[in-house]
Amino acid sequence: MKKFIDHCCEKCTHTKDNPCKDFVKCCIEGPVCHESSSCSARRKAIIDEVALNDQFIIC
Amino acid sequence: MYEKHLMICGATGCLSSGSNLVEEALVEELEKHGIRDKYRLVMGGCPGFCEVGPIIVVYPDEVFYCRLKPKDMAELVEKHLLEGEIVERLLYKGPDVVVPARFYDTIPFYAKHKFNVLRTSGIIDPESIDEYIMRGGYRAFTRALSMEPLAICEEVKEAGLRGRGGAGFSTGLKWEFTNKAPGPKKYVVCNADEGDPGAFMDRSILEGDPHAILEGMLICGRAIGADEGYIYCRAEYPLAISRLKIAIRQAEEYGLLGKNILGYDFNFKMNIKEGAGAFVCGEETALLGSIEGKRGMPRPRPPFPAQSGLFGKPTTINNVETFANVPLIVKEGGVLEFAAIGTEGSKGTKVFALAGKVRNTGLCEVPMGITIREIIYDVGGGIKRGKEFKAVQAGGPSGGCIPAEQIDLPIDYDSLNKAGAIMGSGGLVVMDEGTCMVDLARYFLSFTQKESCGKCTPCREGTKRMLEILDRISEGAGVPEDLDTLDSLAASIKDSSLCGLGQTCPNPVLSTIRYFREEYEEHITDKFCRAGICKELFTYRIDQEKCTGCTACARVCPVDAIKGEKKEPHEIEQDLCTRCGSCVEKCRQDCILVVPQGREADVSN
Repeated sequence: MKKFIDHCCEKCTHTKDNPCKDFVKCCIEGPVCHESSSCSARRKAIIDEVALNDQFIIC
Repeated sequence: MYEKHLMICGATGCLSSGSNLVEEALVEELEKHGIRDKYRLVMGGCPGFCEVGPIIVVYPDEVFYCRLKPKDMAELVEKHLLEGEIVERLLYKGPDVVVPARFYDTIPFYAKHKFNVLRTSGIIDPESIDEYIMRGGYRAFTRALSMEPLAICEEVKEAGLRGRGGAGFSTGLKWEFTNKAPGPKKYVVCNADEGDPGAFMDRSILEGDPHAILEGMLICGRAIGADEGYIYCRAEYPLAISRLKIAIRQAEEYGLLGKNILGYDFNFKMNIKEGAGAFVCGEETALLGSIEGKRGMPRPRPPFPAQSGLFGKPTTINNVETFANVPLIVKEGGVLEFAAIGTEGSKGTKVFALAGKVRNTGLCEVPMGITIREIIYDVGGGIKRGKEFKAVQAGGPSGGCIPAEQIDLPIDYDSLNKAGAIMGSGGLVVMDEGTCMVDLARYFLSFTQKESCGKCTPCREGTKRMLEILDRISEGAGVPEDLDTLDSLAASIKDSSLCGLGQTCPNPVLSTIRYFREEYEEHITDKFCRAGICKELFTYRIDQEKCTGCTACARVCPVDAIKGEKKEPHEIEQDLCTRCGSCVEKCRQDCILVVPQGREADVSN
């Protein structure tokens, strides 16, 4: 998972043709539809790569 | 994980002062030390302080380096990145700070800023949708998708957002009109045809945070029931257009543009239309005509675009800054947050392009209601070279001139209107005692006269006649009746022109007559220009007692009008002198005098 649009695992199904209502929230706070520490870590890795400081994220 | 992030200003202002060369030198230095992979370099949006560009901000240390040159990069890499020591000589220095200032909170230019619209500019990579989402992006749009369209209009009305492009009409009300207009096809149009001389607010927003505009337009689309949008952006903004195209492509990839967005019954297609740069195309009906492929000319209103706009369909047009404010309002709790800033009648912040005779030029975003004094002295750092503040032109060529006596006037829609100016898109040109107000009025009127599309007679012919009179006055051939004639022509043009360009173009003339009538009278009666600007009304003379014969003036004179031997006083041949002023700029002894034609007394420079 390099970008938020990439799927964290097979449970994520969001694409432009098969959209998920929670997609935007899921990018930062996800995964919303299932529990998985590794899926959560994948999102955090994307954030950590570019976050300038601790206050960077706005939910 | 990167050790540090280096945000380089990649906006047009800093690019023109060489930020791309600074970036190349930085990359070279990092590679030389074999540490390129440890640091993230981003050509980001504009941090606003254009006067001191090129700028790099190093995070997480939050160190603001300015006035950078490629040769500074070796020291920055070795000292700051490798040794962890701040390079003090590259920090901001100036008469307004005691010690070199390290970051935003210690640089006086930023002390009065309130970053709303420019919230992410310079902080994120403008070409990354992920970073926009990390900063809360597209949350407001997601919320809007679950709301009733009229409820969105209501929130925007309740927040008190007024259009940032000119007249300051209620944005929520405008949306409601389009929502209630009948018909299945409606459009959202973003006016990015920023045309005022010296204004670059919208360009900076587009370059620094393009997704904010897309999100604002999507929310508007949801509110009015539109499924298509156009961004009308002048072709002179290639970086803004390039970043918009990237942003649109990303939003489509993420399913934030297209069909059944995020699973809701909402479709939206975004288009970009490049304009050819005509000033009149900033007028909404001319802009619509241009998108339709017609000549960019205004058409009579009513019907207003909300009833019959693009291709005859109900259309909402807002400018860039207006759309950039929308996500802040429609997000959870945004209405109260937004309305808490500003004045009773003018909520939120305003981005200004501060230009002219102030020390600190650049972009500033300040709360509505801030005074002119605060902008000029606190943000702008005061007038250059310790001269006296004379006036400020607010609102570009359609705006008016506010004199020094009104320096404590709050900047909001109503106060500016009462003073004879307008908010306009946010251009602020500051003038000092060396500005001739007749010449200023002539400059702005010549701009609007050239940009008049010619469709309606009052604007086409009236501006020409007014300009002829101003030319005559500045050449010393004015007659006392000219002021009444200007007043009367201005009133006719304002009353009978077809569009906003004509209706507002006499403002610079009217406001300068209103506040600086004695300067017009001096030009007419005494043939005297106190600022020494109107070339027919003065000559230059070299003070023979002060001149040291350094030859600096003679070397810079483009027509060789200055004669004299080295170390001997020089003289100006009046027949050759074009009064370009180059010698005055160059003389270090202040010995070039301005000699008015119509009065006996000399006025030194």
